[in-house]
Amino acid sequence: MVTNYDLDNFADTNKKADAKGEKKPLMSVPLSRKNRTKKQFRFWSIGEGLDFVFLLAIAGILIIGLIMMFSASYPYAYHRYGNSYYFITRQILFAGIGLAAMFGVSYFDYHHLHFWAPIALGTAWLLMLIVLFLPQGGDPDAPKRWLKIGGFGIQASEVCKFALILFFANWGSIYYKKMHTIKYGVMPALGVLLVTGILLYAEPHYSGIVICLLIVAVMLFLSGLPIKYFIAAGVLVSVIVSLMAVTGKLTYAMSRLDGWGQALEYTTNEMWQTTWQTRNSLYAIGSGGLWGLGFGQSRQKYLYLPEPQNDFVFAIVCEELGLIGALIILALFAFLVYRGIHICKGAKDMFGRLLGVGLMAQIGLQVVLNILVITDWLPNTGISLPFFSYGGSSLIMLLAQMGIVLNISRTANIQKE
Amino acid sequence: MENVLARIRQRSTFLLCLILILGFGSIVCRLFYLQLIQGEELSDRAVDQQLSDTSVSAKRGSIYDRNGNTLASSASVWKVILAPAYFENDKQRRYVSKELAEILGLREDDVYELASNSNSYYQTVKRRIESDERDKILAFVDKLSDQYERLTNVIVLEEDFKRYYPYNDFAAAVIGFTGSDGQGLSGLEYEYDSYLTGTPGRIITENNGWGTTMPFEYRQKEDAHDGNSLVLTIDETVQHFLEKYLKQGIIDYKVVEGAVAVCVNVKTGEVLGMAVENSFDLNDPYEIADESAAKEVEKLTGKEKEERTNELLSKQWRNKAISDTYYPGSVFKVITASAVLEENAGSLSSTYNCTGSYIPYEGEQPIGCHNTAGHGTQTFAEALCNSCNPAFMQMGQSLGMQKYWEYFQSFGFNSQTGIDLPGEGTGLFFAEPWGPVDLAIGSFGQGVSVTPIEMVTAVSAVANGGDLVKPYLVKQILDDKGNVVKTYEPTVKRQVISKDTADKMAQIMEKNATEGTAKNGYVAGYRIAGKTGTSEKIGNSRKNAKDYIASYCGFAPADDPQIALLVYFDTPTGEAYYGSQVAAPVFAGIMGEICPYLGIETQYTEEELEYVDTVAGNYLSMTLEEAGQKAMQDGFEPFVCGEGSTVVAQVPQAGSKIPRGGRVVLFTTQNSTSETTTVPDMVGMSVEQVNETAAEFSINVSFSGSVEQEGILSYAQSIDPNQRVSPGTVVTVYFGNNDIDDTVM
Repeated sequence: MVTNYDLDNFADTNKKADAKGEKKPLMSVPLSRKNRTKKQFRFWSIGEGLDFVFLLAIAGILIIGLIMMFSASYPYAYHRYGNSYYFITRQILFAGIGLAAMFGVSYFDYHHLHFWAPIALGTAWLLMLIVLFLPQGGDPDAPKRWLKIGGFGIQASEVCKFALILFFANWGSIYYKKMHTIKYGVMPALGVLLVTGILLYAEPHYSGIVICLLIVAVMLFLSGLPIKYFIAAGVLVSVIVSLMAVTGKLTYAMSRLDGWGQALEYTTNEMWQTTWQTRNSLYAIGSGGLWGLGFGQSRQKYLYLPEPQNDFVFAIVCEELGLIGALIILALFAFLVYRGIHICKGAKDMFGRLLGVGLMAQIGLQVVLNILVITDWLPNTGISLPFFSYGGSSLIMLLAQMGIVLNISRTANIQKE
Repeated sequence: MENVLARIRQRSTFLLCLILILGFGSIVCRLFYLQLIQGEELSDRAVDQQLSDTSVSAKRGSIYDRNGNTLASSASVWKVILAPAYFENDKQRRYVSKELAEILGLREDDVYELASNSNSYYQTVKRRIESDERDKILAFVDKLSDQYERLTNVIVLEEDFKRYYPYNDFAAAVIGFTGSDGQGLSGLEYEYDSYLTGTPGRIITENNGWGTTMPFEYRQKEDAHDGNSLVLTIDETVQHFLEKYLKQGIIDYKVVEGAVAVCVNVKTGEVLGMAVENSFDLNDPYEIADESAAKEVEKLTGKEKEERTNELLSKQWRNKAISDTYYPGSVFKVITASAVLEENAGSLSSTYNCTGSYIPYEGEQPIGCHNTAGHGTQTFAEALCNSCNPAFMQMGQSLGMQKYWEYFQSFGFNSQTGIDLPGEGTGLFFAEPWGPVDLAIGSFGQGVSVTPIEMVTAVSAVANGGDLVKPYLVKQILDDKGNVVKTYEPTVKRQVISKDTADKMAQIMEKNATEGTAKNGYVAGYRIAGKTGTSEKIGNSRKNAKDYIASYCGFAPADDPQIALLVYFDTPTGEAYYGSQVAAPVFAGIMGEICPYLGIETQYTEEELEYVDTVAGNYLSMTLEEAGQKAMQDGFEPFVCGEGSTVVAQVPQAGSKIPRGGRVVLFTTQNSTSETTTVPDMVGMSVEQVNETAAEFSINVSFSGSVEQEGILSYAQSIDPNQRVSPGTVVTVYFGNNDIDDTVM
């Protein structure tokens, strides 16, 4: 469907750039400014060049996600706020903002993001730093993750995830030839990861570290970093984690790891309380069976499963819609990821490919990690389910990121004409 | 360049496959496992925590006497349940524990310990609280749910039932009591537990995580079915008299090992009363009723105390009337005599010689009679009336061991009577091979052990014309709405002797009760037939003393027997210990009360009529003249006190019983009632002397005992001498024969 027919042209441009010794991104802006502007104007007709299948997939998942989040959250919302619609009205508002952002971004030529890549990362780091000094609802022991602006919170790590993808897409598209070297392939990644890791560790937000690590790994992998480094990194990470564990600095993470995989077994009262959420998630999933209890019929959402609107929303989905419903939703997610990656790997330049595939991979990873958490195959850490879990910053970011993918699809399709 | 782009495509595809196959694949497998394979288990556990299954206690059925008086019933109480799973922190746990402990009078630490089972929804804090404590708990729950919404359901009250016995120790051994779960533990409560219990219901509701109901239509209710009620054959009034006289007898004769009185309907086997003393309070069965024993136990400590307490408790709960065996002594002669007549081993014309002792078998030691001088030659009837042991040894020999054993069995002494009570014992006779002495002493009731219920059942067979009936206590079973579920019919087990033999025996026993050794059990106007018994206890509890059992078994009226009564005192330690001295007066006292109550017709002899009590009429508000006439019509001698013309008071009161010809004092002015007279000492007098003395002191006398007997003397009076009473007051004077009847060996 998407062909990179003018690759030769890009190659020429880049050869010239290389000859001059300029750092020019691969395949970036081969056209004259005048031409480009002309072409950009053509984008202002709605829907032109968009990948409608992908758009439909997003719309489908978003609608199902909203409905299921509502179903899962209304008893808790009623109990907590005296208003069953507390979460859903907000989430719809976020979805509206997100959709607007998505369409907006889809017109915004992603190539401009080259410029924003380092700035985005810097901003993300700055936000994560600020967060550390903000009070978090009065509880001094609560993780410092939220940036409150006018009643709505932003998770700094959400911004960071996107910034990392953007940064490494940019990096990879510039230094694609040197990615096999330690200096360009490994060292920058380690540096960025170190800073990000320290900031997330300080919050603390260990699942954020894991996701960031995976995102960077994906980006480096796509950029062509030789496989041997991944093996080496894997060994290194294991060593670091074990060292931290030994020195006892993983107390918070360990407290969450405690009871991992033994939610159904009673050992101590304390453990029983710790594994409460996971256990009730398993009860919910198991209660669903093949066909589920029926939409709206979950029992576990009635104050058994704490905060069913958040990370554990899919457990209620499983309870109400059963294995069949869960598989349909997972199939939709799989299709979304497939479609997104399929679009992006056909982008006309390397930046688009790296950026788009990275964004889609992030969604795929989060889906998998979230469900592994709610099914007690991973420790309960706080990884939300894209499009389903309640949360303004995450939903808006997510939809904006989908806007980038749409923009990539638009660019690829327009170029094809 | 192409390489680079192609590599991205390749690696993107690889990454996609990795995420979809490895990532999505694993979560699909995981969901498949959790939802389909482990689904049922998880679902069960979820349902377990979502449903609250509350059981609804069924009300235990009541126990009524034959006239519908309630002897046992159940009333609502509440069980306090704590669900510590709702506690969010230790502060709440402490707070609720403290408050609960205060309301319920428990130790705070104990409640806190229960509250610390933090994943439990069901900890029983206290059972059977009554409505005042319940109200306090409810108020606290209200307050608590205002303070902490999460704790709305942390305290739950479950309805339960408590057993009440309105008459406390009344018929305790028969009714029995229930345990902490309302289950019957003894007596009829145990025997008919399955009828009384009912079926508990349950309410299943679906709760949310905080224990309040969910908005689902999920509520299943199975109603509790209340237990059935029992209608007993026991008559409250009869039982009351049995207990009253036994209690008095225990005091009078210093009885230490308890006493039994059983009254049965001889034709049907219905037990009209079964009194077992010493008794205990059914509402508090674990308290030692015997005060002196209880004090003794208080002084003990540790294991010793526990053992002694258990010993005393099992003793007080024991139903002596059916569980304990005793040597019936001479009462058993009724059985031997019946067997002899039935087998034609002797007849009414047979004579038996008594020289004061008898050698049953050559070479054996002679066995003495209570009359060491010997009764001389006696007829069959005289032998029984004399309660002559040598005569009965001879009868036993004429009957033969084999026949004796057959009758022992057929009268039901070696098997349970089948009465509907738990823990029934059986009688015993010497094991085979029998020696000649076994038969000899067995003939007069020594060496045979029987239970009281067996004895009274056997005597009933003699009374009712020869049928051995099964005694029973429950007449009907009613459902919770009062409909009859089951009616128990009389059961005749077998005919043990012929009607002819039975009639002859009744005549002899009536003779015995009027003239013979059993005459202290006689009640004027009722044709009592009876037999006394005094037996020596083997393995006595007191050192340096012989222990006896004094008993009396008889029936009335002799020409058409309706009720049989056995009275038995275990170990009287006073001066009197013979059946005729101890059991017979009590028997007479009881019969004198229950025969009129049961409507048994009086048949007075000419002589007796003289002493018959008559009911005083109401002469109040009449003119003096009218009152005097009416009193004379009623058979009294009017006596006027005061100067007025109308009667303002009378002694005795209307409805009181005084002997025919007694004095009715009519007061005509109010202040005249303050006149008093002194009660004279009338003990040890003959009937004539008593009459004279009574006239002298202007009091009335009611005679008790067989006053028509020649030479009979009074032995007690109902109002102590030297008391000041109104003229005309009725003093009951008891007459008795101080002759001993018999004893053995």
